[in-house]
Amino acid sequence: MIEETMTPQERVQAAINLEVPDRVPVLPMQTYYFACRHKGLDGYQMVKERERALQAHLEVYDELGGFDGQVIPGISFIFPPRISGIIAEPLYKVPGVDLPRDSILQHDEREILLPEDYDLIADLGWNAFAEKYYSKFNPRPAQKILEWGERQTARYIADIRVWNEHGVPVYKGGEVFSPLMFFSMFRTLQQFTFDLYRRPDRVQAAMDALVEDFIQDAIEEVKLTGRTWVMLVLERGGCFYYPLEIFERFEWKYMKKMAEAWVKQGITPLLHLDQDWTLNLPYFRDLPKGCICEFDSCTDIFKAKEILGGKQCIMGDVRASLQTHGTPEEVEEYCTQLIDVVGKGGGFILSSGCYVPVDAKFENVTAMIHRAKTHAPAQ
Amino acid sequence: MSELVDAIANIKEDEVLRMVRHRLEVGEEPIALLEECRAGMGIVGERFEKGEYFLGELIMSGEIFKQAMSFIEPKLTGDVRSETIGHVIMGTVKGDIHGIGKDIVTGLLRMSGFEVFDLGVDVAPEAFVEKLVESGAPILGMSALITPSFESMKNTVTAIEKRGIRDRVKVIIGGGIVIEQVKRYVGADAFTRDGAEGVKICKEFIRKANK
Repeated sequence: MIEETMTPQERVQAAINLEVPDRVPVLPMQTYYFACRHKGLDGYQMVKERERALQAHLEVYDELGGFDGQVIPGISFIFPPRISGIIAEPLYKVPGVDLPRDSILQHDEREILLPEDYDLIADLGWNAFAEKYYSKFNPRPAQKILEWGERQTARYIADIRVWNEHGVPVYKGGEVFSPLMFFSMFRTLQQFTFDLYRRPDRVQAAMDALVEDFIQDAIEEVKLTGRTWVMLVLERGGCFYYPLEIFERFEWKYMKKMAEAWVKQGITPLLHLDQDWTLNLPYFRDLPKGCICEFDSCTDIFKAKEILGGKQCIMGDVRASLQTHGTPEEVEEYCTQLIDVVGKGGGFILSSGCYVPVDAKFENVTAMIHRAKTHAPAQ
Repeated sequence: MSELVDAIANIKEDEVLRMVRHRLEVGEEPIALLEECRAGMGIVGERFEKGEYFLGELIMSGEIFKQAMSFIEPKLTGDVRSETIGHVIMGTVKGDIHGIGKDIVTGLLRMSGFEVFDLGVDVAPEAFVEKLVESGAPILGMSALITPSFESMKNTVTAIEKRGIRDRVKVIIGGGIVIEQVKRYVGADAFTRDGAEGVKICKEFIRKANK
């Protein structure tokens, strides 16, 4: 074991500050589903039996030997107290309700917004549009939606408290989608792609009108939760999906604006960069210092180190399938490589690539955590 | 390269549709237009393979082709199907409702001359087996985004074995999270995280089968 001279928060903050911590911090992302499955809960129980699930989550954290905190404390959402913030969360299919009982929550991507909604959002802004047209997203009465949102946020805050009482810091205090990700989810990938080619000016006008409301949503969420990280959900603006000219116009300018606004407020933007962003990496050098670029194993993280080293904190990226179908030796070997190359000189948080999969092998998650605690970057 | 081929290859929707309508109105042979549209799509596929195009261009070119066909197809007479280089069954496996990866490979396979039977998402092992038997297709492509789907892939391969057709079917699995260990676990013949590479592997399957 490497001698620890920092608290988990100090260690993680050192990585964000691009300094060299006492050891590489390790933050497996979202261990809730994995922990619940490990304790024998099915998908339905994970969603519906919150107390039991939380207990399982805590127990598995201890059995793993602990790590440097929970990015996400459970599966509740955080919402600002208004309908626009609540309905901006995409729809889910729920195990035991819409899916087989032993599956996991999956996004339910549907065409909720129509092309004419770009114009309405451009005219009204997102909040006013949502107040007027929320039933497109959710047919329940507004009061019911608000009450549901309030319950979610209260649960999220309660989960933070439980973890803190357990001696574990929680980092994420807010979450929003980038405008591109938002429209892609609510128009569907296919329709949104058509929009980018057929009506780009209208899409851009809607994004211009919406981005400030999303920035403020996150700031309010941070105030409510007292946690200073905001997860900016990105996936569909990167080079897996679109050429750089589309990225520049419809993703980059907004993600930069959001990150800059949040960093000014003392918030840490956690850029949740699912899928491949390798060609987009040079742009991220111009993000304000204090962001975390979190990769899921589709982006070349070693290339990210070359390009972003000394500029941005990098987090990732033990591939989900390595956690489920690799051996502990293979996980250790990959983590060693990550620590040696990406961890060299600081600015790195070891993590799962996206969430820890529900069916990850316990010994593989243990191997990831253990490697961070025992292996120092080669100098 | 004709103007129409160029317009499709460069994702110019309005130009493609204007040209198709005009050339049909002046009495050009629809089969010639069809071949030009296919040639344009072939260039899109090549550019994707070289990394010059991305998923967005694939989606949009597919839509343009579909629209062009809505004008051309009613004018076609007789059997105008092009020679296919092989048949592939594609689907996202049971328990997984994500279709993006499957759609990419399906589109690329079609651009490369394969005939693809796309069974959609959340496809049960029995449905894959039935389609393999009915169509006689020699290749099965299964896609997944989430790790629990690997079990469904394995179950599908087992079902193919039980049906006694495993020796005539090549199985390829794909998705951003798939690795060699998963291929071995599932009992597949190949895996890929890259759609263009998936097409190459399918071509290789066909080449070896035709030897």
